[in-house]
Amino acid sequence: MLLQAKPALVKAMPERPVMVEVRRLKKYFPIRRGIVFARKIGDIKAVDDVTFEIHKGETLGLVGESGSGKTTVGRALLRLLESDAGEIILDGEDFRRLKGKQLRRARRRTQMIFQDPYASLNPRIPVHGIISEPLEVAGGHSRKELRARVDELLDMVGLDSSIRNRYPHEFSGGQRQRVGIARALALNPEFIVCDEAIASLDVSIQAQIVNLLEDLQHRFNITYLFIAHDLSMVRHISDHIAVMYLGKIMELAGRDEIFDDPQHPYTQALISAVPVPDPEVEESRERIVLEGDIPSPANPPPGCVFSTRCRMAMEICSQKAPDYRKIEIGHYAACHHAAGAA
Amino acid sequence: MAALLDIRDLTVRFATEDGRVDAVTGVSYSMEEGEILGVVGESGSGKSVHALAIMQLVPAPHGRIETGEIWFRESDLLTLKGANMRRVRGKQIAMIFQDPISSLNPVYTAGFQIRETLRRHLDISQRAATSRAAELLDLVGIPDARQRLRSYPHELSGGMRQRVMIAMALACDPKLIIADEPTTALDVTIQAQIIELIKRLQVELDLTVMWISHDLGIIAGLADRVNVMYAGYIVERGLVKDIYARPRHPYTAGLLESVPRLDRKTAGKLKPIPGRPPNLARLGTGCPFAPRCRHGDDRCRAEMPDAEASDQDGHMVRCWHWRHVASGETGAGESHA
Ligand SMILES: Nc1ncnc2c1ncn2[C@@H]1O[C@H](COP(=O)(O)OP(=O)(O)OP(=O)(O)O)[C@@H](O)[C@H]1O
Ligand SMILES: Nc1ncnc2c1ncn2[C@@H]1O[C@H](COP(=O)(O)OP(=O)(O)OP(=O)(O)O)[C@@H](O)[C@H]1O
Ligand code: SF4
Ligand SMILES: [Mg+2]
Ligand SMILES: [Mg+2]
Repeated sequence: MLLQAKPALVKAMPERPVMVEVRRLKKYFPIRRGIVFARKIGDIKAVDDVTFEIHKGETLGLVGESGSGKTTVGRALLRLLESDAGEIILDGEDFRRLKGKQLRRARRRTQMIFQDPYASLNPRIPVHGIISEPLEVAGGHSRKELRARVDELLDMVGLDSSIRNRYPHEFSGGQRQRVGIARALALNPEFIVCDEAIASLDVSIQAQIVNLLEDLQHRFNITYLFIAHDLSMVRHISDHIAVMYLGKIMELAGRDEIFDDPQHPYTQALISAVPVPDPEVEESRERIVLEGDIPSPANPPPGCVFSTRCRMAMEICSQKAPDYRKIEIGHYAACHHAAGAA
Repeated sequence: MAALLDIRDLTVRFATEDGRVDAVTGVSYSMEEGEILGVVGESGSGKSVHALAIMQLVPAPHGRIETGEIWFRESDLLTLKGANMRRVRGKQIAMIFQDPISSLNPVYTAGFQIRETLRRHLDISQRAATSRAAELLDLVGIPDARQRLRSYPHELSGGMRQRVMIAMALACDPKLIIADEPTTALDVTIQAQIIELIKRLQVELDLTVMWISHDLGIIAGLADRVNVMYAGYIVERGLVKDIYARPRHPYTAGLLESVPRLDRKTAGKLKPIPGRPPNLARLGTGCPFAPRCRHGDDRCRAEMPDAEASDQDGHMVRCWHWRHVASGETGAGESHA
């Protein structure tokens, strides 16, 4: 194996400063019954005591089944949603406490890229309007400056500036996603949450967008939270990966470590469920097929939330929630079995 | 080697605002009894429309089957009308769709809908239909089958709904099941359950299965043979093991190279296919992949190659330069460290 100048090696260096630090974050959605006198009858624990950090210029991949709380984490991090408890430290600042001007300034350093390039772009506004809107809101730019900046942004995402007067419906999904990314980049964000940003694109186009996101990261030292269903793509783009289940992080580790040495039975099952595009490998693979469905987040099982589907569950698993503990440097898991357990 | 399904020169055309669109062009292939055929290709390549054509469900009046024969057992389905086709549809060939919530009727219980399917095709009493429905739910791995008959679609999870759809498809003992992206809307652990289920049923019930997907991984683990579609054409077809190891069409090779693999460390950047899929209303006479193809030349841009038998039994490809591709640097197995 030839050792190439591999950015991954450089990226894995631990000295990079922390960009985002999340401690014991909670977001519960109340479940109400009744219409006139709605009363609260319970909570959906969408995000329940989540802790992680992302270093500057790195990517944390966030995976897990539908409803596990990934989008809620992303929205809470950007304060598109107010959390119920916990801390969000953004580049050293206590983001949850910021108000007024300080909050606006901090918010400008963050952005979100969504799954659906169709829904997230206003169909009645031409491309240059879509991209320049955040700049206009921020203010302080002349028409000429706006125009130059839009052209620069289009160029960054690999689109020709001649398309500036066209409308979203005139573009393919991949092009629309590029427009969405150009808009997200307008204010030079340092931290971007990509929520299923490539999920609606064709396989052959997904690779183009992922390469673009990586290029932009290297050029501008952007930090990503990359939320996705596609574990293979997450492995490719991430430096670290967190696996969520019913509002909790089950495991977090370096991108290769989590695949080479998964500690949590859920991570193991998730990895084994992902098909690999190689018939020889598929034929010889051992597959752990999880039984049953993900339980309702309104009524999660006692003890370990995964215990109802876990092939390694013991008596204690349905009684006591395991701690989210350190296995080794940069590797955490919440399982009574995980190595390093006392 | 009995062919269960034999499609010859199928072309399906739509009249759209944009102009005439050939969603499926000159498609010919046959399926052997008991095989699992994968159909892959990107969005808009004609996978669903070609399946709808088999069922004679191409939406009229905009869509029309222009040419072709679809032989299923002893008859050309395209010559069957009304009641005769209805007898085939659902009974001998059943289809499963991506989104069970829109294919199931929300106001009726799962049991009611399975019983209706049974009674539409079989002369069977209400009571017999109920126990057959329970048997079917049991067969597809739904716990407490009798109880579940009384559930409405919204009371079931996505995976359970897809199992109900499979039970309905199996209701009348069909020979051929066409599954159009049946797991795309599901979580990967639930997808794995459904794939295991289909594998088991295929063996137990001796089914012939067509599985449409854009996921090369699913097809690798499930199918015997694969049709790769691009812009309405089958551009390559053959045994899964052969094609994944040695793609002969630049599009197939490009697809296999562009996806990262979970079982490998990635070195460097992904290798996407440049450009984007063509607008089918604006296709010229040449190969529709030519603008994105690294082997494309003047002949490619001028003239679409015919389907050609290649160097392997049962393998066919539509590319002027397949020999270069097959021998070349583009093999899927060697692209990563
Ligand atoms: N605004 C809301 N009000 C009430 N419940 C909500 C709200 N937003 C999310 N939830 C619930 O919180 C849980 C977590 O949802 P979230 O959207 O974060 O999951 P996710 O992991 O992003 O899922 P997906 O993969 O389907 O996008 C779910 O049970 C969801 O129904
Ligand atoms: N009802 C329709 N009217 C007009 N054009 C149609 C219609 N249905 C399909 N088409 C066109 O036919 C072509 C093939 O569509 P088809 O649905 O078969 O693609 P597909 O391969 O199944 O894609 P996907 O992966 O997105 O499901 C597309 O270009 C599509 O725009
Ligand atoms: S015919 Fe030409 S353009 Fe088409 S795939 Fe083959 S080499 Fe490429
Ligand atoms: Mg989400
Ligand atoms: Mg389709």
